[in-house]
Amino acid sequence: MSAVTETDGAARAAPSAIAEAGTSVSFEAVTVAYRGTTVLKSFSLEVQPGEIVALIGPSGSGKTTALRAVAGFVRPTGGRVRIGGEDVTDVAPYSRGLGMVVQNYALFPHMRVDANVAFGLRAQGAPRDLTQRRIDECLAIVGMSQYAHRFPRELSGGQQQRVAIARALAIRPRVLLLDEPLSALDAQIRRNMVDEIARLHRELPTLTVLYVTHDQSEALTLAERIAILRDGALSAYGASRTLYRRPPNRFVAEFLGRANIMPVKVESIDERNGLGTVRFRDEVVRAQAGPRVLAGRAALLCVRPHALSVTSDPAANAVAGTVAAALWQGEANSITLDADGVSIRLSMPPYLEAPQLGSRLSVAFAPEDATLLAEETPGDG
Amino acid sequence: MLVWSRGGRALAWLAGGLLFAVVYGAPIVVIALGSIAGHWNGVLPSDFTLRHFGEALSGDSSSELRVSIITGFVASLVAIVLGTWAALALRAMRTALRRILDLAFFIPSAVPSVSVGLGLLVAFSQRPLLLNGTIWIVLIAHLVLVSAFAYGSVSAGLVRLAPEYEQVAESLGAQPFYRLRRVTLPLVLPYLVGAFSLAFALSMGELGATAMVYPPGWVTMPVGIFALTDRGDVFNGAALTMVLVAVTLVVLVGLSRISNRAAAP
Amino acid sequence: MADAAAPVRAAPIRIPAGLWVVPPATVLAIIFFYPLALIARQAAIGNDGIPSFAYAAQVFATAAFHSALVHTVQIAGAATIGCLILGFIFALLLSFVPFAGSQFIARLIETYVALPTFLVALAFTFIYGSAGLLNGGLMAVLGLPRPPVDFLYSPWGVILAEVTVYTPFVMRPLLAAFSLVDRAQIEVASSLGARPAQIVREIILPAALPALLAGGSLCLLLTVNEFGIVLFIGAKGVITLPLMVYDKAIQEFDYTTACVIAIVNVILSLALYSLYRVLVLQFGGRRAGLV
Repeated sequence: MSAVTETDGAARAAPSAIAEAGTSVSFEAVTVAYRGTTVLKSFSLEVQPGEIVALIGPSGSGKTTALRAVAGFVRPTGGRVRIGGEDVTDVAPYSRGLGMVVQNYALFPHMRVDANVAFGLRAQGAPRDLTQRRIDECLAIVGMSQYAHRFPRELSGGQQQRVAIARALAIRPRVLLLDEPLSALDAQIRRNMVDEIARLHRELPTLTVLYVTHDQSEALTLAERIAILRDGALSAYGASRTLYRRPPNRFVAEFLGRANIMPVKVESIDERNGLGTVRFRDEVVRAQAGPRVLAGRAALLCVRPHALSVTSDPAANAVAGTVAAALWQGEANSITLDADGVSIRLSMPPYLEAPQLGSRLSVAFAPEDATLLAEETPGDG
Repeated sequence: MLVWSRGGRALAWLAGGLLFAVVYGAPIVVIALGSIAGHWNGVLPSDFTLRHFGEALSGDSSSELRVSIITGFVASLVAIVLGTWAALALRAMRTALRRILDLAFFIPSAVPSVSVGLGLLVAFSQRPLLLNGTIWIVLIAHLVLVSAFAYGSVSAGLVRLAPEYEQVAESLGAQPFYRLRRVTLPLVLPYLVGAFSLAFALSMGELGATAMVYPPGWVTMPVGIFALTDRGDVFNGAALTMVLVAVTLVVLVGLSRISNRAAAP
Repeated sequence: MADAAAPVRAAPIRIPAGLWVVPPATVLAIIFFYPLALIARQAAIGNDGIPSFAYAAQVFATAAFHSALVHTVQIAGAATIGCLILGFIFALLLSFVPFAGSQFIARLIETYVALPTFLVALAFTFIYGSAGLLNGGLMAVLGLPRPPVDFLYSPWGVILAEVTVYTPFVMRPLLAAFSLVDRAQIEVASSLGARPAQIVREIILPAALPALLAGGSLCLLLTVNEFGIVLFIGAKGVITLPLMVYDKAIQEFDYTTACVIAIVNVILSLALYSLYRVLVLQFGGRRAGLV
């Protein structure tokens, strides 16, 4: 692997020197079947060099399988996997030049931290001085330099995961694979680690990262693009913000961030700005129309809770309901309205008086903050 | 928690303790006493002496301790190598052949030791391999008898090994042999040590097959102990038994200390 | 959580894993299966050189063989029953009537397993032999002219020794099974008024049954194969199959007969081993003793 033969020049800790010029990853109709069940169905995805892409989805969606296919631990029954344009489908895992970080860290317990970090380089026969430099570099990047001589059992979960990341970075991988790396950590540590990983990505802009998680907030924070999998197939793929603001379908809307979904009837669509006018109960509101939304048909109105605010203006773009629940959650009041059987959730600042249960509230939103989705038909998503 | 009252518990423990002492404590105590007894007429021995140890370990029987230790050590070592190799090879297999081979490696522990000895006698008293009358046939007999336990221990240890370690090692660029040497084997070492001590203990106490195949110059302690007691020399026999037990326990405890330190949490 | 359905290991992209098993399998074949096959062959062809079972049939007809077979089965059966009872009692006490040193006792019993089986037989000659502890004591105290206790030189001596030696093999799976019994169940039962005997019968025994079956079949196997104890006790009328094989081969140099008897012994052992494996599978794969 070229990672160990290239020369370093002067010994620096400049982090941008860590990764090679970015590498792309592509899945070409990858199918993985296992004991009669198809775990991944003709999965195709393109990851650009230097990108950080999150693969998210519910259990059994195939996201971990896709990651393992890139790593080489799963043999596709159909399709090809390419890394940097090179077809690696038949290449052994140890020749693919990837770094992998797993949920339970898997630090080698019989080796100290520095030996763990050096493992990949030593396995590939790197010269000793290069190895030592890389150890120092990578431990410094993750902030674990002073623990170089400890054993993994002496470290906390978060510390172990940092060492695991340093170990993966030491071989200058073309692609970094993270398989639910934060799931085993406490909530507080997890929040810190999300910041760490975001910082790492800023410091190593050419490192391509594939990040598997079931936690959509991690994905939204860290990933530039998100691939949502469902039942072994790609449900949606796009920039995080776009997917969040303009979910293409109901599944994505509800999986990626909480969403209020209200069944509406489309009255008309303004061609110029794409805004649709819809009727919800006896109110008329406007929202951004998504694809396949047609006038005269039924549709779903999707608004995020944080886009709703209480209003008393009768002309506002608003819907109304009776207060069914009001829960104080410290950072906000979580209010649930009932509009003839449809639940509408919103949050109100904690310092405002919570509304009375049973009172009628009108909540307004900007049309650009809401999306109209085509009615779900079987096979959608 | 079955018995709640203090009195009831005390009674249960007294009864249990008595039973335990009689069943398990008495034999050891009696042998120990016999090994140092000068005379034993009646209930208790008299004339305590250490000469039985001297007699047992000198003269004809002087080599028996050495023979047993060498046999145990060599047979266990080879059994560990064989068992580990087989366990690793079988772990990577996915076919139905794997179950059959797995069973095949366990079968030697199901077969009576005397029959194993007889088989070796019959097989290696003829061409192509003539081993009858050599020490090799004894070593092979012990190897056959402990191999299944070694294989079983190592297999069980490998099953407990989380696959992530080897997968991460592989993803970092380690080729199969490097991975085996640096990751897999170090992680199963505690099980290997445990398997070795079990095999060694079994070999030290092995009598059935050894009695069938041993040549005059290679007498193990169990065979020697039987020879002594058969001709009435029970005190010397008891002494040699104590030596056997002591060596076995020293090795067992010593190895378990090492293995515990290696697997420290 | 992460998908659990994904296969952990891919099809290897290197040389087939199956080839690696050839060296150890070959060694096993040479040192174990080949000799076993030769014994079977010898038993089948007898002294004639042609495969028939005439010679074997002759051996089966002898009184000595009958006696050995009957003794083997009787002793093994009785010893197994003894192991089950004693093992159950000890395991019960250790698991459910807790005291400070129970861990230590359990470890001690494990160590006993590592000791040679004939040790107990030798100890018994000291204790129950005609010149032993018990007889000497009884003779002195009661003024008897001859040693009253004679059972050592009967099957009962062997049975008692085997019970001592093989009870740990019943205790191990029992202790494991008992550790899985929900203590809360017992506490609730007690608070509802159940007596210890009832609790044992209705809660503990059902939990113990698979372990008892597995441990019992293991004991059967081990006692059928036991040689050292029978040899050391050396009672004239107590001949088991393994001892008969030894006598025929080493004392009488009659290898053919020895092969016939050995094959019977092997077949019996393999049948018991299969029983043991089947029972262990039911018990969820716990393997105590024979690994």
